[in-house]
Amino acid sequence: MTGKDIIKITLNLVVVYLIGGLILAVVYAKTSPIMFQNNKIAKEKALKELMPEADKIEKAGDWTIHEKHAEYFIAKKGDETIGYIIQSFGKGYSSYIDTLISVDKDFKVKKMNILHHAETPGLGDEIEADSFKNQFKDKDLEHLKVLKTETTEFVQAISGATISSRAVTEDAVKNSVSFLIKTIKEGGAGNVEHKHI
Amino acid sequence: MSNTSTFSYREQILNGIIKENTIFRLALSLCPSIAVTNNLKNGVIMGVAVLFVQVMVNITISLMRNFIHPKVRLPIFMLVISGWVTVTDMTLAAAVPDVYGKVGLYIQLIVAFASILARAEAFASKNSFMPSMADGLGSGLGFLFALTVISLFRELLGKGSLWGYHIVNAKPLLIMILPTGGFFAVGILMAAFNWIDARHGKKSAHASH
Repeated sequence: MTGKDIIKITLNLVVVYLIGGLILAVVYAKTSPIMFQNNKIAKEKALKELMPEADKIEKAGDWTIHEKHAEYFIAKKGDETIGYIIQSFGKGYSSYIDTLISVDKDFKVKKMNILHHAETPGLGDEIEADSFKNQFKDKDLEHLKVLKTETTEFVQAISGATISSRAVTEDAVKNSVSFLIKTIKEGGAGNVEHKHI
Repeated sequence: MSNTSTFSYREQILNGIIKENTIFRLALSLCPSIAVTNNLKNGVIMGVAVLFVQVMVNITISLMRNFIHPKVRLPIFMLVISGWVTVTDMTLAAAVPDVYGKVGLYIQLIVAFASILARAEAFASKNSFMPSMADGLGSGLGFLFALTVISLFRELLGKGSLWGYHIVNAKPLLIMILPTGGFFAVGILMAAFNWIDARHGKKSAHASH
């Protein structure tokens, strides 16, 4: 290898890095505001979807679960508090399942939505199906339990995805509901204290 | 491989789709063909992403072919590939966030696809712009075709639906959407592809060869 080779190789790499970096910078500059906007719209939409009757959803505080930061919100209609929305995580089969849960004033689940997960496609990702999610309606803390048999009183596991079903029900939803009961019911309404589970 | 005077774009594209089909013939990049093909939508989007990356990589490498020093050939190929994959990744995330949520994980893995590096090394680094683009198109379309067929087969048998729409009312064969079923699907379809191709080849032996 001669000196000329070394210079050519250096030049090669520098040029490729520079052009590549430039292209990536341009694409990033174009796409990142869209991504940011998408995330913001998605979040607002997700909150609204969980509590369609609320006309104001305000952030009430932060909490942590599985060492992940999450937020919870108070949903109001006029001046009256009609329920709470909380983000929560469950430790699934191959990922942390990011969920959003709304409860009414009596801490019964109104709705549950999956925001993000990386469970097995075709099996664990059935947690996103309406047939699974709808089971959470009107469940209180005592009934947030997964059964493998047919049930409407409790939550019926998805066949082939018991771990994912448990992660959503007994981890994400149950922990967040009991957190809300602890902080809001027993700690006084509107408590914005930072709590750890 | 090619000679400018007798080069046929049609043949080069068909070559990538049929004769040298990445999955059914060369048996390369088999892991994505199993990982993302348990439903049609994921398979098709993955195929389109690969098609785009393959064409762009081939074009870039072919334009740079006289400039690249042979000793740093592979690192430069890898840089070009990862650059285009990142562009695809960011574009998909911005343009189709819902689909990206499902296949995003696998898009980044395109960097490691043997088929893309193989086309860059075997063809684009030795040929000019247009033939390289044709080659990328052929190889990419071949990949898209294979992924579409495999995912169609798996979703239909494993879930009884297509593109998320339920169509078959029988109890589905759950195994087809599991990784095990992926191996079966790829094997069966590979055999079918080669069988059809062999029969067809015999019939039109005079016409095309």
